[in-house]
Amino acid sequence: MQIGLIGSSKNVIFDPDPRAKLSMLLAVNIVMISGGAAGVELVLRAVCAALPFLLLLSIRHFRAAVIYFILLGTAVYCEGFVLPYTHGIAGILLMIPCGILTRFTAGYVMCWYCVKSVSVSEFVTSMEKMHTPYFITIPLSVMFRYFPTLGEEYRSIHDAMKTREIGQSVKNPLIYIEYVLVPIMMSTVRIADELSAASLTKGLSAGGKRTHICEVRLTAADRLLILCSFAMIILFFVF
Amino acid sequence: MIELQNVSFEYTATGANGETLHKNGVRGLDLTITDGEFVVLTGGSGCGKTTITRLINGLIPHYYNGELNGSIIIDGVSVPNTPIFETAKKVGSVFQNPRSQFFNVNTTDEIAFAAENQCTEPERIKEQIAETAASMRIEKLLDRSIFELSGGEKQIIACASVSVLSPDIIVLDEPSSNLDIEAIEKLKAVLTDWKAQGKTIVIAEHRLYFLRELAGRMIILDNGKVVKELHAEEIKALTFDDTEQMGIRPLSLSDIRFNGCKTASQGNTIRLENFDFTYKDGKHGINIPELELPENRVIAIIGHNGAGKSTLARNICGLERKCRGTLTLNCKALKAKERLRSCYMIMQDVNHQLFTESVRDEVMLSMTDKALTDEQKAGRADEILAQLDLIEYADTHPMALSGGQKQRTAIASGIASSKPVIIFDEPTSGLDLAHMKQVAGEIRKLRDMGKSVFVVTHDLEFILSCCEHIVRLENGEVVQNYELTNDNFHLLTGFFDGH
Repeated sequence: MQIGLIGSSKNVIFDPDPRAKLSMLLAVNIVMISGGAAGVELVLRAVCAALPFLLLLSIRHFRAAVIYFILLGTAVYCEGFVLPYTHGIAGILLMIPCGILTRFTAGYVMCWYCVKSVSVSEFVTSMEKMHTPYFITIPLSVMFRYFPTLGEEYRSIHDAMKTREIGQSVKNPLIYIEYVLVPIMMSTVRIADELSAASLTKGLSAGGKRTHICEVRLTAADRLLILCSFAMIILFFVF
Repeated sequence: MIELQNVSFEYTATGANGETLHKNGVRGLDLTITDGEFVVLTGGSGCGKTTITRLINGLIPHYYNGELNGSIIIDGVSVPNTPIFETAKKVGSVFQNPRSQFFNVNTTDEIAFAAENQCTEPERIKEQIAETAASMRIEKLLDRSIFELSGGEKQIIACASVSVLSPDIIVLDEPSSNLDIEAIEKLKAVLTDWKAQGKTIVIAEHRLYFLRELAGRMIILDNGKVVKELHAEEIKALTFDDTEQMGIRPLSLSDIRFNGCKTASQGNTIRLENFDFTYKDGKHGINIPELELPENRVIAIIGHNGAGKSTLARNICGLERKCRGTLTLNCKALKAKERLRSCYMIMQDVNHQLFTESVRDEVMLSMTDKALTDEQKAGRADEILAQLDLIEYADTHPMALSGGQKQRTAIASGIASSKPVIIFDEPTSGLDLAHMKQVAGEIRKLRDMGKSVFVVTHDLEFILSCCEHIVRLENGEVVQNYELTNDNFHLLTGFFDGH
């Protein structure tokens, strides 16, 4: 998984502030997870379902946007118009996937969008602007930084297991997990150790102040987005 | 000026059984490095050269635990008594492993990182990045993901991220060990620029040929002590025999001697057909319609970065299922899945392929023959371990071994698997002369056992000490395929000279 690469490229139509993205993420997840579709809630859900679609368009991921639209559209359609006419097992078989899709797709896509479009340094900068202490931001940013490395490590270990013909032949899942985890933890410890040493020689120190080259500024649009997100959450809880 | 006066350091570590271990660092070291000097530290593994770089950048005693005596003074200020972020303003550090020295995912952010930590004004940092990028000619590498870059490009970014603070002193700890010849040339260009700017450079290295013209002083260490000091003129005069005798890597690639092949090929062949494979990005891959290679030989796979060497190795091994090609061995055409059963790969990072709790178990894990009892397996494992000088570590946890021992454990597992083809992916990256020769010896042993060995490598000296056949790839295609003989020797040196 590539983290935070989209934000840096130039062909992004609209790139909100990380804080605006986070508040939208919060709003979409809270609103979509409930299944209600009456009155104000219907309007809120329609807005929250449209948000990830528009954001995907804004980063020019047209295919993903279309897939999202079709997936969610089908699920909503089934839930609203097909489900009332089904009974028994067929009804349950249809209800479960539709229910899961309508509740979680928007939240999932929103999350994917945030991870893809917020770079580590943007994230750290905006966390600091929100006065989050260093002992939270630095470990979090290291964690973000480490995910892709973890993926690389896992792929190498998987290859090694394939060439040694272990893995497929291991019947016991616990042994399989051990075979994957031991080398991963060993390399994690080593990489973490080398990474700490390297960042120390670059002057990273606990508690010290830092400056940032990435500009994170709330524009009027960002403020509006944050305001709307929170308004939606409040409306959702009041009604 | 860097002054090390009577410095001794011992690492303290916890051993496999919880006991406290003292590992050698340096002993009674006196060293003065004047401003603008270019000092090369070399010697076998564990000789103390990395320790010296850590003494200068302050990682000792601020990060690595151990017992430190003596004084380390940079421009009149004691390093152990200065917080490490203060030392960081004056001393920049480049490390061995390009994978683990980046804090950020984005290259521009990484270059800015050190300056951000020093609270430099953002506008000023941006100017500095632009200047650094222009002087190092790396504009193309800005604003990219670290994970897209090759090892060589990562190392150049590491250099840029040090350069941006323009420190007076730069220490480098084996920066070339994961690089190919082309990337080493780029590293050399960076070092040349730094030297011209009057920076003090301290570099710990095994591979020395690219430092021949740059080095002002070379310090050879052994067991934590300085055993020899050479000055610029003496360094340039060193011949292949001199370096061989001192136990260090040669200072010029053209000096390395070729003694000719000792054994003749028996005439059996391995045939590769339709090795056509492209990665998801659609750009990288290999396209080899047909390739005939001798059986039971040591075959070196060479080529520039991105030529498809590792991809070919992965495909020979059968790791890419999409590859439809076949490998014919002993008149049997093997598809990808069957190749997994007849090929064994020793990876560049052997840590990924050791899974069990003891070296003996590791070797036994590879014996898939169900007819053998556990005792027979253990007996056979001990035989193999004895051949590779590992028998005394049979009950040790593989992760407690040194790098070379781990690699030998992986080789032992390969022998135990009784697969006819063994593939090495850059087995000598970061090895000193003695260990390189040891690996070459092990590879010759494998050949004598009747294995066909493939080696992906950038190391000319290593090729000449064990390989018998050369396959050169460029842009995913085989451009040269020849037996290494006196007549063909110029083809190989031609490649390493950059033609």
